[in-house]
Amino acid sequence: MDTAQIRPPLVRGEDRFVAGVCSGLARHLGVRVDVVRWVMVLASLLGGAGIVFYAWLWIMVPTTAEAARRGARRPASPIAPAVSRPVMPPTAAEPASPAQVRRARRLAGHAREMLLGAVLLLAALGLGSRMLGFDIPLGFIVPLAAILGGAALAWMQLDDSRREQLVRGAGAGRWNGGLRLGAGLALVVAGVALAVSGSQWNVLGLALVASLAVLAGVALVLLPWGLKFWRDLAAERAARVREEERAEIAAHLHDSVLQTLALIQRRAGSEADVTRLARAQERELREWLYRDARKGGGTFTDRLRALAAEVEDAQGHPVDVVCVGDAPLDGDHREPREALLQAAREAMLNAARHGGGPVSVYAEAGAEAIDVFVKDRGPGFDLDEVPSDRLGVRESIVGRMRRHGGEATIVSGTGGTEVRLHLAGVGTEEP
Amino acid sequence: MSEPVTVVIVDDHTIFRSGLKADLDGRVRVVGEAGTVEDAVAVIDQLRPQVVLLDVHLPGGLGGGGREVLTRSSALIPQVRFLALSVSDAAEDVVSVIRAGARGYVTKTASGPEITDAVLRVAEGDAVFSPRLAGFVLDAFGTSAVADDELDRLSARELEVMRLIARGYSYKEVAKELFISVKTVETHVSAVLRKLQLTNRHELSRWAADRRIW
Repeated sequence: MDTAQIRPPLVRGEDRFVAGVCSGLARHLGVRVDVVRWVMVLASLLGGAGIVFYAWLWIMVPTTAEAARRGARRPASPIAPAVSRPVMPPTAAEPASPAQVRRARRLAGHAREMLLGAVLLLAALGLGSRMLGFDIPLGFIVPLAAILGGAALAWMQLDDSRREQLVRGAGAGRWNGGLRLGAGLALVVAGVALAVSGSQWNVLGLALVASLAVLAGVALVLLPWGLKFWRDLAAERAARVREEERAEIAAHLHDSVLQTLALIQRRAGSEADVTRLARAQERELREWLYRDARKGGGTFTDRLRALAAEVEDAQGHPVDVVCVGDAPLDGDHREPREALLQAAREAMLNAARHGGGPVSVYAEAGAEAIDVFVKDRGPGFDLDEVPSDRLGVRESIVGRMRRHGGEATIVSGTGGTEVRLHLAGVGTEEP
Repeated sequence: MSEPVTVVIVDDHTIFRSGLKADLDGRVRVVGEAGTVEDAVAVIDQLRPQVVLLDVHLPGGLGGGGREVLTRSSALIPQVRFLALSVSDAAEDVVSVIRAGARGYVTKTASGPEITDAVLRVAEGDAVFSPRLAGFVLDAFGTSAVADDELDRLSARELEVMRLIARGYSYKEVAKELFISVKTVETHVSAVLRKLQLTNRHELSRWAADRRIW
């Protein structure tokens, strides 16, 4: 768990040949970029596995800038860094610099060159094989090249338009994008049409192939757009949820923390009041922040904490509770456990009233027994000279425990008083 | 006791840092401060203080907070000692910084003298366990003892010490209660700290995962 290395988030890097997948992967895995690139190239030779993997990462992994934008939408809650802490990649805060704009332009240029290169390569292949004697009909090569080129254009559009949108707003990029998409579509349609009309033999089979080709071509072109819209929709929805979350936090802070702060300012003169208010508010805020994680409530330790909070509020004295294990409060053992809780409450009240310093409460709900210890740092008292008013309290602790089959010991000395409550035989046997 | 212990405070709240600085007494000397993971790593490496008071939640870096500072400064750990400081009672936060190498954990609500004491203790190479941390340890390791040499469990004596600390006893009171010296108590606590840092017990991870939030 915590011994695991902290990894940088997986984003496509700025240092790129094609789409920055390799450099991003290298950063995430902590491996050298060249190694990743060579592995990718070698994997591509294995039946194109590397290419498929690369394309998949290209689609699914956001660029640094996209990740930053996603991270920035999260509200930074001032009170609970644990609840919402945006994980920002280091380059997140940079605004679009002129260098980035230039880089985007240069990339667009690269894309065009690459496209041209691919088309030329295909043409060369076709011509070469012709010269070697293989008769590949031109009617096959041209439509194929057109379809491939169109699809590539549309796919690049996905990445480019998003980047440009980011760099200089949505305005200028849109025309360009529309043009490219149009061109891509036109190329594909033209390719399919050529394929259909280019030959006359076996019309039935060709019609079937043609319709399939049209469907595949359209899907190929529209897929990136569908993906893009779907992702935007998901991002939008997430942003709305976060906004609601933020509003709820704001409302809660207004109702609780701000009111308490106002109260504290008015009572600034009384140290005891300020401490009590601050502690009560802290407890309430913690409860609110972490409430989801608590299962149900109403177990032994939940009740003990609630009672401690009650005592703390009533006496204005801090009561620190540490619990180990837990036990249910329903079922056969309800009565003795309730008695134990009441005895613990008396002990806490007593400690808060007469003791000094913070009251420490420790509860251990083990397999064989439940133990509760309540310790204060008061002056202590001699058990033989217990004043009559404290005898009642002692009776309600010691007597009550005895009646329910448990025992209570009170140890008092110069270092303070400790009440030890022990309830045996009714521990946690539930699965 | 002649030379004050040098301390670097790492916390992202400026107000808290200055408040803490004012609260610490003359036995320690604050030589530096930092508010982010990067700053902290740089300042610690440059100043080499005896003790670093380290907030668990910190901005910057890769989002790892205090734990990240610890892992990135781990080469310095024998000379520089870390004491985790937190408002969070979340077991996962606390246990993870301890496992990354911190020598102890105190809450931010502790008083100036208390934190000073904890700093001095850490500077001497001892471990600082609050009642709550002792509670986490008992919860994580289980409350039944086994033989002394097993790394995955606590010995009977260590369990007794942990229980007393969880009950709010000071080291001195623990020593008196168990009829042993304070030094022996410190040895036991250090042993528990080491077990907490070294064990790879599956149950410990699962326990921490279950209780991400206390």
